[in-house]
Amino acid sequence: MCRIGQEPGPHDADNEDDEEGPTAAFAALLEDSVEELYENAPCGYLSTLMDGTIAKINGTLLAWLGQERDAVVGRMRFTDLLTVGGKLYHETHFSPLLRMQGELSGIALEIKEAGGGRIPVLVSSVVKHGGGGEPQLIRTTVFDARDRRAYEEELLGARKAAEQARKEAEADRARLQDALAVLQQSLLPDSLPSVPGLDAAAHYRTASPDRLGGDFYDLFPIDADRFAFFLGDVCGKGPQAAAVTSLTRYTLRAAAVHDPDPVSALTTLNQVLHERYTGGDPRYCTTIFGTLAPDPATGRVTVHLAAGGHPPALVLRGNGKTEYLPTPGGLLVGVLPTATFTAATTVLEPGDTLLLYTDGLTEARTGDDRTALYGDEALLDFAADHAGRSAQDVIQALTGLLDDLGDGLDDDTALLALGAPALTPRTEATA
Amino acid sequence: MNPLQTTIRHAPTGPVLEVNGDLDYTSAGEFRALITALTLQPGQRLVLDLTGLEFCDSSGITAMIVARNHVHAADADIALAAVPDHTLRVLRMVGLDQILALHPDSEAATRP
Repeated sequence: MCRIGQEPGPHDADNEDDEEGPTAAFAALLEDSVEELYENAPCGYLSTLMDGTIAKINGTLLAWLGQERDAVVGRMRFTDLLTVGGKLYHETHFSPLLRMQGELSGIALEIKEAGGGRIPVLVSSVVKHGGGGEPQLIRTTVFDARDRRAYEEELLGARKAAEQARKEAEADRARLQDALAVLQQSLLPDSLPSVPGLDAAAHYRTASPDRLGGDFYDLFPIDADRFAFFLGDVCGKGPQAAAVTSLTRYTLRAAAVHDPDPVSALTTLNQVLHERYTGGDPRYCTTIFGTLAPDPATGRVTVHLAAGGHPPALVLRGNGKTEYLPTPGGLLVGVLPTATFTAATTVLEPGDTLLLYTDGLTEARTGDDRTALYGDEALLDFAADHAGRSAQDVIQALTGLLDDLGDGLDDDTALLALGAPALTPRTEATA
Repeated sequence: MNPLQTTIRHAPTGPVLEVNGDLDYTSAGEFRALITALTLQPGQRLVLDLTGLEFCDSSGITAMIVARNHVHAADADIALAAVPDHTLRVLRMVGLDQILALHPDSEAATRP
């Protein structure tokens, strides 16, 4: 302990010769007397006999308790000052430890005020031994811990509030995820319709679960003999992109019924998008739109399609040949008030499959440093290995490919395969 | 990932914006703000010099469309110079090579 100057103490008698020195003047400034210091110290003092009977107590502690000295000294034990919980703790922990160790410090207890209130305190005790080593009495200091307790409660309260806020944020996030999932589903068909004479399969992969994707596809009847399909990619992500996707989907569906010619349908969509999103925040999409006319007699499916700004469809022939169906020069849909779109036609023989995809697949980053792109050539090679397979098989193979590309997929990917079913070998069936 | 860096210089034909780094989802907003803050006189030409363009995704393509709409609103014009192959392939795919003038370099693009 560091002593500053010389406090008047029990040994002051030894220092009386120095009374005239500067030390004495300093001491006089500090404290009038030891008794004064004891009585009005900024902490409570008490001394008890070994059985706990209070032998001496200072004014500070009496003031906290709201008790008179006469009612306490020789009449009460230390534990009488404590709350029920404090008493219990004193009996089971405090007292045994004190007897064992001879001292204890900083134990948090609560003392009772005369008015019924409680004061949180920190208690330290030390056993004073007599000349023969036998325990004589217990000296105890009591520090007011109200400020400290209040601070602890504040901390606890802040922690509870933070915990609550975190729970609420998690719940909000879960709700938002649910809402997004429902919206996302409304942008895509629940399931593809069953089309006589046609195999159809689709797959949709979002690159990020909490950002609404902008890819879309659909397949639906336009008259007794024909179906229409489309697949595309709206620029951007999130709710704004989803709004464009929704507008695009329903515009194309309506346009197809009005005039199923692919270039006409895309022209209508172009006008609608350009009119709606003119100005500083252009919204547009890339789309392939087409019609399918299955011929029950031959098993062939005639495809008319047109594309605007979209990567070309792939045709996987049953004989193993795989090729792009080029639609060069078709402009992004919605950018200009008038735009040109490029039409193409093909006939799917039984066993042939038409594959539509969005650029999430071909623009997937590959390689160790994720800087190379998967690319058109790689897709052509991959598709060639699966030529002659059913639409479902082709989609399943591509789903596996997307799994392999993993986090190289920066963007959503939509896949739609439309195939003319291979003819069942009749010779074998009838044999 | 290369941060987007741009510098503007002035040619007799109008401003020339040099675009370096990645023009993608994260940087396209900043790029669009920069473009739409440009003031062009009627008849001027905004040249985007893409020599240093490392990567351009669909957000970058949108930013170019925003640039085109912005200059057209001022009766000005836009041209792209030194478009890297990776971006040229995308521009062709989406048909924008038909509506944006392409030049081999900024010198050719700033010829009156």
